[in-house]
Amino acid sequence: MVALFSYHARAGRKGFLVKLTTTLIVALSAATFAPAQTSTSSAPSPTAAANPNVRHVIGLETVKRNAIGKLTVHDSVLEFKAGTAGNKVPVSAIDAIFVGTETTQSGGTAGRVIKMAAPYESGKALTILMRTKVDILTVSFHDPDGAVHGAIFALPIGTAEPMRAQLVQAGAHSGAPEKLIQRQVQP
Amino acid sequence: MNSRAAFVFLASFWMLAMPAGIGSAQTAAKPKLSASAIQIALIEAGDIQIPAEFRFAVYERLVQRVRESGAFQKVYRSGDRAADAVPDLVTLHTKVEGFKEGSQTVRELTTVLGATKVDVTASVTARDGHVLVDHKITGRVRFFGENLAVTNDLAKRIAKLVREAF
Repeated sequence: MVALFSYHARAGRKGFLVKLTTTLIVALSAATFAPAQTSTSSAPSPTAAANPNVRHVIGLETVKRNAIGKLTVHDSVLEFKAGTAGNKVPVSAIDAIFVGTETTQSGGTAGRVIKMAAPYESGKALTILMRTKVDILTVSFHDPDGAVHGAIFALPIGTAEPMRAQLVQAGAHSGAPEKLIQRQVQP
Repeated sequence: MNSRAAFVFLASFWMLAMPAGIGSAQTAAKPKLSASAIQIALIEAGDIQIPAEFRFAVYERLVQRVRESGAFQKVYRSGDRAADAVPDLVTLHTKVEGFKEGSQTVRELTTVLGATKVDVTASVTARDGHVLVDHKITGRVRFFGENLAVTNDLAKRIAKLVREAF
């Protein structure tokens, strides 16, 4: 009976050690994500030139969704460049600019896979560690035919407002798009 | 024997013909509309507080989904002057009726809470303003993915509705 009890105690201790080791591994791997997250979120850059970690959510036809690239304003053009792909929007074609905030998960697809594969529900701890806030910049513009487009970008927190100010300074409209469309139709 | 064979023949004929009849009655009840081009209007929010990125993401995804559906020869965006010359143009209007922004973190931690939901009324109108299609649709993101993923779900449902009608 005593031998059985000690066997169970040993087995329980072993199980506990396995769980503890797994949790430590997960926590350490999460810690590797954390510096990258803070470096993008806590160091907002005032200029667009130093703003390379912009994610194209949707809206630019020549750039893939979720492509990471650089968003700049130069020569009266808003340019997004991700590798070889890129898109230029003349500032004069911009009808409205909106700035919002969103809480999302960093780590991309790899992070999602790690979270799902992590044992003993420890992926949920990663969910908390990997959450990050981003600024959402929505730019409404029209093409030469007058068709309305809406490009959405996710920027490091604190960088969307300076970008908006830069665009307005360059001559972009920042009003409600519906009013501007009515103005175009009834000049 | 002959009468029995005739009975079996008639019974089997009736059984085979019946579903076909029901099918034709169903198709007759829902005739497909036809139009060569559609214009996607910007999302109307009305009094509902919905962030601009959600409205524009729904609009962009709708343009993409309706194009992919292949139901129309041409899909025009809102404000496109080229659409003025199309005689049988129909317009897709989407009006937001409700919006509840959830949380991705809460969703992934609890799996039952934190859902993001958008209720809209999608309607297709002809040039004269006559309403051809009018439906209430709800887009949701319940388990995985960021809040903006709700726009993809919504656009998928609206595009399906349009594809089934045209």
